[in-house]
Amino acid sequence: MLEIQGLTRRFGAVVAVDAVSLAVPAGQMLGIIGRSGAGKSTLLRLVNRLAEPSAGRVLFEGREITRLRGRALREWRRDCAMIFQQFNLVQRLDVLTNVLLGRLGHHRGIGAALAVLFGHFTAAERAMALAALDRFGLVETALQRAGTLSGGQQQRVAICRALLQQPRLILADEPIASLDPRNAQLVMEALRQVNRQEGITVLVNLHHLDTAREYCTRIVAMQAGRVVFDGLPAELTAERVRRIYGITEEEFEAEARARAAPCAAAMA
Amino acid sequence: MTPAEIATWQARLPAAFGADARTRARRLAAWLAFAAWLGAALWWFGFSPARLWNGLSGLATIIRLMIPPSPGEFWLDILRGLAESVAMAFLGTTVAAVLAIPLGFLGAGNVVTNTLARFSLRRVLDGFRGVDQLIWALAYVRAVGLGPLAGVLAIATADIAVLAKLYAEAIENAERRQMEGVTAAGGGWLARLRFGVLPQVLPVMLAQALYFFESNTRSAAILGVVGAGGIGLQIAERIRVRHWDEVAFIILLMIVMVAAIDWLSGRLRRRLIGGY
Ligand SMILES: Nc1ncnc2c1ncn2[C@@H]1O[C@H](COP(=O)(O)OP(=O)(O)OP(=O)(O)O)[C@@H](O)[C@H]1O
Ligand SMILES: [Mg+2]
Repeated sequence: MLEIQGLTRRFGAVVAVDAVSLAVPAGQMLGIIGRSGAGKSTLLRLVNRLAEPSAGRVLFEGREITRLRGRALREWRRDCAMIFQQFNLVQRLDVLTNVLLGRLGHHRGIGAALAVLFGHFTAAERAMALAALDRFGLVETALQRAGTLSGGQQQRVAICRALLQQPRLILADEPIASLDPRNAQLVMEALRQVNRQEGITVLVNLHHLDTAREYCTRIVAMQAGRVVFDGLPAELTAERVRRIYGITEEEFEAEARARAAPCAAAMA
Repeated sequence: MTPAEIATWQARLPAAFGADARTRARRLAAWLAFAAWLGAALWWFGFSPARLWNGLSGLATIIRLMIPPSPGEFWLDILRGLAESVAMAFLGTTVAAVLAIPLGFLGAGNVVTNTLARFSLRRVLDGFRGVDQLIWALAYVRAVGLGPLAGVLAIATADIAVLAKLYAEAIENAERRQMEGVTAAGGGWLARLRFGVLPQVLPVMLAQALYFFESNTRSAAILGVVGAGGIGLQIAERIRVRHWDEVAFIILLMIVMVAAIDWLSGRLRRRLIGGY
């Protein structure tokens, strides 16, 4: 159970996240939607403490995440894997090593950490990485450089890396914004599979309402840092969208597409 | 992961579990060859701990003679020499940095598409790069006589080729889309270079030129030893008559000067790179 209580983050005069309270039971696949600047990314970054809150707190199974320091904080970050829009793989390393990077948080002590720096991952870890890649049909690419893969493949490699962290939580920030529809579908299905089979809670920022409706078990809509809708996918009707955002669903989607287009072009 | 599962994966994709015996043997052989080469070179030059130790004690004597540093009688000459060195470095680097701009464009694969022309230019530049500053200085001292002019020419000649190569690489890494924007607006190839490429690469070029200025103020000191002007001559003379305290004074001044230039050019560089 992830509990967000009165979480607020200000950047100067801008209130990026404004008194957000949410309770996310384990195993939920939660979609977060909202227009550009609504505070979706900031909310996710607050959860894994890449950003610090101005007020409020985050609890995971009763433990206060917003208070963690040092090693406990690193362990929390290991337990909630992050997936980025631009994949953030190390392009010049091979796919297998990229996936193995998910194990970094599991190597404790100076000896183990040093060994890892020289590429000494255990056979069990390597087998684990290969099994993860195999699951998404990527095992043939294991020894290729990550940079040679297509965007959709890279994002699935990123999911494999996340899985090797053996996380409790996956935070995905617009994971499909720079992908074409076919690859977007593959990535969303991979996330759903992970959510259902491993029971990992997934928080995913999306800008396509239809994608959110199709894959998520619950949807939260944000506007100017606040939660303006929280409910089942079926409840987020076109009528509700128009009432919340003052624009039709088509306009919402067009805006999201226009926002994603420069990113997609940058990837090409 | 059970051991059986691990074994299955190991059988299916052995390469994922580290190098095989042959690769490992080859790597070991390479390391051994490297060690043998290192050992052979040390043996050839007669390196022995005893010689190193004696050398160190000689160095200690010199350092004792250096303390306390003293400006000596001719401290005005020292200051003039230092100023001359900085001026030489500045002039030489400026000439090289400016001349390297057109050469850099000509050497960039995305500007000059004629492979033969580019290839020949690059080989010529490689040739220039293969000859060290000091050799150029010796040549110029014979050609234009003793004095700073020879030093300036030596610095410029040696750096043009290196800077041109660095510039060419920066130009090749320039973003294509910005050039396309200029083309789409009706610009010809010169306009494309001027507005599409130059704004992208100019901060990089300036930053590199500043680095070269910095390192040239250091190396300009040595040019004086062969008569190409600057502080080097003063150092060489004082070493010959064993005035180590004055040598130490010059060295301290040089360190202060280089640090000042380093600080200044660092600030400039940060402003250039930040101010895209
Ligand atoms: N590091 C920062 N410094 C200053 N302002 C920031 C910073 N990060 C976010 N903001 C501001 O906070 C607000 C919310 O930003 P955030 O990135 O969370 O929005 P978002 O919903 O993810 O938008 P998008 O869909 O465009 O990614 C914006 O107004 C943004 O300008
Ligand atoms: Mg965002």
